[in-house]
Amino acid sequence: MDNYLVDLEKKSISMLREAKAQFKKLAVLWSTGKDSTTSLWLCKKAFYGKIPFPVIHIDTGYKFPQIYEFRDKIVKEWDLDLIIAQNKEALKKGMSPKKGRLECCTLLKTEALKDLLRKEKFDALILSIRRDEHGIRAKERYYSPRDEEFKWDYTDQPAELWDLYVKPSEDFSHMRVHPILHWTEVDVWQYVKQEKLPINPMYFAKNGKRYRSLGCMPCTVPVPSKASTIDEIVQELETTTTPERAGRSQDKEKAYMMQKLRALGYM
Amino acid sequence: MIILALDALDLNLIQKYDCRNLKQTEYGQTDISEFSEPRTVVLWASFLTGKNMEAKIPLKTQWKFKLDPEETFLKFFKPFKAIDVPSFSFKQESHAEERKLLKKYFNNKGTIEEYDAAVWKYHEENKKEFFNSIGKFDLVMGYFNLADAIGHLSFGISEKMRAIYADLEKIAKEVKGSDDFILVISDHGMKAIGRYGDHTRNGFYSANRKLGLKIPKITDFYNLMRQR
Repeated sequence: MDNYLVDLEKKSISMLREAKAQFKKLAVLWSTGKDSTTSLWLCKKAFYGKIPFPVIHIDTGYKFPQIYEFRDKIVKEWDLDLIIAQNKEALKKGMSPKKGRLECCTLLKTEALKDLLRKEKFDALILSIRRDEHGIRAKERYYSPRDEEFKWDYTDQPAELWDLYVKPSEDFSHMRVHPILHWTEVDVWQYVKQEKLPINPMYFAKNGKRYRSLGCMPCTVPVPSKASTIDEIVQELETTTTPERAGRSQDKEKAYMMQKLRALGYM
Repeated sequence: MIILALDALDLNLIQKYDCRNLKQTEYGQTDISEFSEPRTVVLWASFLTGKNMEAKIPLKTQWKFKLDPEETFLKFFKPFKAIDVPSFSFKQESHAEERKLLKKYFNNKGTIEEYDAAVWKYHEENKKEFFNSIGKFDLVMGYFNLADAIGHLSFGISEKMRAIYADLEKIAKEVKGSDDFILVISDHGMKAIGRYGDHTRNGFYSANRKLGLKIPKITDFYNLMRQR
């Protein structure tokens, strides 16, 4: 195994074991994308083949059929304890991206997860965000406390010196644990290749386009690409200047800003 | 008298880029916490009239709202020139292009670059008019929306913000030599939301004389203008 990948894996696995020991009720969020599938695999490795906590999939009802297909296949093969979080009430009332992307994301993703957390009382969630994905994510810590409204104060975070991830003593609703925060997009692909991880075929180019990041059908578009293998994807990433989430038109900050400008009367 | 009305000028960036000419002799933040939303038109109307104008300016038609000179401190100056000031002499047609490009960007049909280019173009036009007016009027008030308009889409891009503050600093430096009373004022500040920028509830002011103000309200400047 590549030494560099060994180091990345070691750090992630020790963090996952630490989290399991520190928190009473832990769960891992899984979108079925490459990053969260990598985290699931790391959880399997950390706990010797069987993930000892639930796997949460937030189902907005607008995901690609390939995502559901992939999810159900892996749940069976990896024997996962899957919990599906869905805001059925909002879907019944007809919530869709047409009614506003920010409202849609807030109700179908954030509120669905909030409801589940209130019900199941998880005190920590494992998320697969990476620092290189977005400027704001670069400010994240490995352990990131959230209040009941999921608010995150990036100006007031615990220090994480010498790889010590300390649970803050202050009151918080739940802790977010980010085991692959230090990985890059290329690292993930190298690791997927090395570990021969199953991956959604939508990531590979068809007719000159591929999905670089997977989201909901109405809000995700493929990016131009000829990369139809992992090696070609890595090669493409080493030269591209296109951001990873370029195909995700529901980018929350963009949606927030659009609505804010409307509220201020600009649009 | 010269008023540099700089939309979204923020004290933190003034400090960061060390804009000494924008800071002048006395500077500080203004308090706009009494307003439910830091809306540009409302804040400039409140600055001009010395009254909280929030209830009188409906959101939907705010950019068409126009004050009579008699309602504002401008009546104390004869003659006066107010360039592109929201709620008073706002150039609807010039800004229509900006708005169009803003919508285009959010509809994924346009780019930030073409929007930026339009904003800079109007900024340069206003600058020309502003400098041509100095010395010809009792009061010249020049409004520049560069930091606000570009900041909304690019506040997190420091190269862009540095260039904007450098240009505003240059304007302040050019008027500095004047014997006139110079007030630099903003309606609100700005904070980053990822790469974008959102209004904050603190504005900025500076003067080339000691005024002894301590976190004034934006409406407090009316009386100051009357006294001048």
